[in-house]
Amino acid sequence: MDLDFSPAEREFRAEVRDWLGTHAPGPLPSMDSPEGFAAHRAWEARLADARLSVVSWPEEYGGRGASLIDWLIFEEEYWAAGAPARVTQNGIFLLAPCLMRFGTPEQRERWLPRMARGDDVWAQAWSEPEAGSDLAALTSRAEPVPGGWRLSGHKTWSSRAAYATHGFGLFRTSGTRHKGLTYFMFPLDDVAVRPIAQLDGLPGFAELHFDGVFADESMVLGEIGEGWRIAMATTSSERGLTLRSPGRFLATADRLVALARTAADPALADRAVRCWVDAEAYRLHTFGTARKIMAGEEVGAAASMGKVFWSELDLRMHALAMELLGERAGATPWLDGFLFSLAGPIYAGTNEIQRNIIAERVLGLPR
Amino acid sequence: MNFAFTDEQLALAATVRDVLRAHCPPGALRSERRPGWEQLAALGFFGLLLPPESDGLGLGLADVVPALEETGRACLPGPVVETAVAAASLVAGVAKLASGAVCVSVLLPGQVYAPDADLADLIVVAGADGLRLVTKESARLTPRPGVDPCRPLFEVAFDPAGCERLGGPVEPALRRATVATAAQLIGVARELLAVSVAYARVRTQFGAAIGSFQAVKHQLADVAVAVEFAAPLVFRAALAVDGGIATVERDVSAAKAAAGEAATLAARVALQVHGAVGYTEELDLRFWLARAWSLSAAYGTTAAHRDRVRAAVLGGDVRRYP
Repeated sequence: MDLDFSPAEREFRAEVRDWLGTHAPGPLPSMDSPEGFAAHRAWEARLADARLSVVSWPEEYGGRGASLIDWLIFEEEYWAAGAPARVTQNGIFLLAPCLMRFGTPEQRERWLPRMARGDDVWAQAWSEPEAGSDLAALTSRAEPVPGGWRLSGHKTWSSRAAYATHGFGLFRTSGTRHKGLTYFMFPLDDVAVRPIAQLDGLPGFAELHFDGVFADESMVLGEIGEGWRIAMATTSSERGLTLRSPGRFLATADRLVALARTAADPALADRAVRCWVDAEAYRLHTFGTARKIMAGEEVGAAASMGKVFWSELDLRMHALAMELLGERAGATPWLDGFLFSLAGPIYAGTNEIQRNIIAERVLGLPR
Repeated sequence: MNFAFTDEQLALAATVRDVLRAHCPPGALRSERRPGWEQLAALGFFGLLLPPESDGLGLGLADVVPALEETGRACLPGPVVETAVAAASLVAGVAKLASGAVCVSVLLPGQVYAPDADLADLIVVAGADGLRLVTKESARLTPRPGVDPCRPLFEVAFDPAGCERLGGPVEPALRRATVATAAQLIGVARELLAVSVAYARVRTQFGAAIGSFQAVKHQLADVAVAVEFAAPLVFRAALAVDGGIATVERDVSAAKAAAGEAATLAARVALQVHGAVGYTEELDLRFWLARAWSLSAAYGTTAAHRDRVRAAVLGGDVRRYP
């Protein structure tokens, strides 16, 4: 057991820090506005030019073939530099791992390099009006037609769909519940998109209506009827370290401690320090998880423990910042961060569902 | 970067676990003061941290963290941390320490009483003028009420004139004992969680196992999360001690506070899940509840360690290790 970065890892950290120090832009407008979306997309292209947009991907798709530890280092530096949120995150963190694992070589070649540059921006389309935490209750269908499939149904809370170019989600091709679901990718051109304003007033997600949208065979990811298994591989990475690496929480914790230093109430300062230590705990835990993944072990249901921990830590940090700032909060980035952190215990499977998973599948309690 | 225990470190823990299962069963906690000690001594347990010139193995603290967790999991009574960990830093030259033939208690800065001092051949006592080595014969012990029936506490009086003065700083021993205690707390918490889950699976009310109710599930899930994220802080503290890392004081305190909070949460939930039967002396659960409470207060309370972390971090020490 050790906690030592290798010389190569330290060198990589220095390179990333140096590049971001020179190139990271100041705050951009929200990615959920037309001008902000364009600015975030342009930033992704700059990152890709430096081969820093997807460092852990194979080189042929725009990455560096970097290890998981290198990727965690990248994330720490990225968030510490105050660099923009990733408009490509649904694609690069959720869809891409599935494409790498279940996609055909043609699909990987076609989609991954464009995704890595932000040429295509992907929206996720999991939830439906009657299928949220209970995702297997979804009713959107795919009917076979010559040369492909016709998609019909209604998806909602689809993150980034207001401005994205493509989407991915599950459609029923047969059966009931978890059986008979198939994983589809689709361009958003033929889908009726109704943007939905979030708490911040901007359309961070959207409703999607599919009225016989055609998807050819190449848009099916994995085998027909295997969608649930593939999607679970995605949600496991969403809950786990790919979507929410420690770097973002470490950066927030540092900023929170700086804010709390001047707090008149020592109890508030104490809460800030607790958050700071918890962010450290998440970081250390993630190094342990990375070790397991690199050794070929599956994280599985244990990812739910991480999801509960990071989402509630993030909310505690931002709620504390709101308390510390009072009426001044609105003039700072903490307000947007607070609103975003409130979504953490809801998306990627609510924390109630995560606690059920921990109880049943980690601890072995009866269903 | 390999933040996982090696096969050797885990094998040592497995051996300790097997020995304690066989020789320190819950029933022994009611009848013996040091069950399993003889068998642990035969394994070389009390020489793990001692240098080779003291007949020890010269291991680092991180090497023995999983084994120390097992002593917590078994609720092993007796001055384990004091004899196997603190003594190795304070009195490594004492003959036969490695063999387990010498039992040690300590009364270091931050402690109020010496645990299990009545079993000790030697007590290391920190005073205003430094450390003293107090022998069994020269110590006058006064028992003090404590929360843990298997970890009795004592006030220690002695005539300094008759007691050897020890050189060297006390901090290394204190750090090691603190991290070792944190490791035991993780073990205590894991056992409390395991027995609570086992009980919730078999206890039936309203025609269903109580572990099928979400109100019960979610409490146990919260314990699992607390333990899962406290443990890496303890592992890191052990590495910081071994490596003499600059942030060691802060990291040791962060570990002790987190482990203490995880264990007291585990105790609270364990009692709630067991219900009335948990609130009895006859159920063995009481020993683990008491151990969670007694070790949380040992070598600095959770509040004292939180204070130290707060002072460091607010004072500007936001350096990260690694």
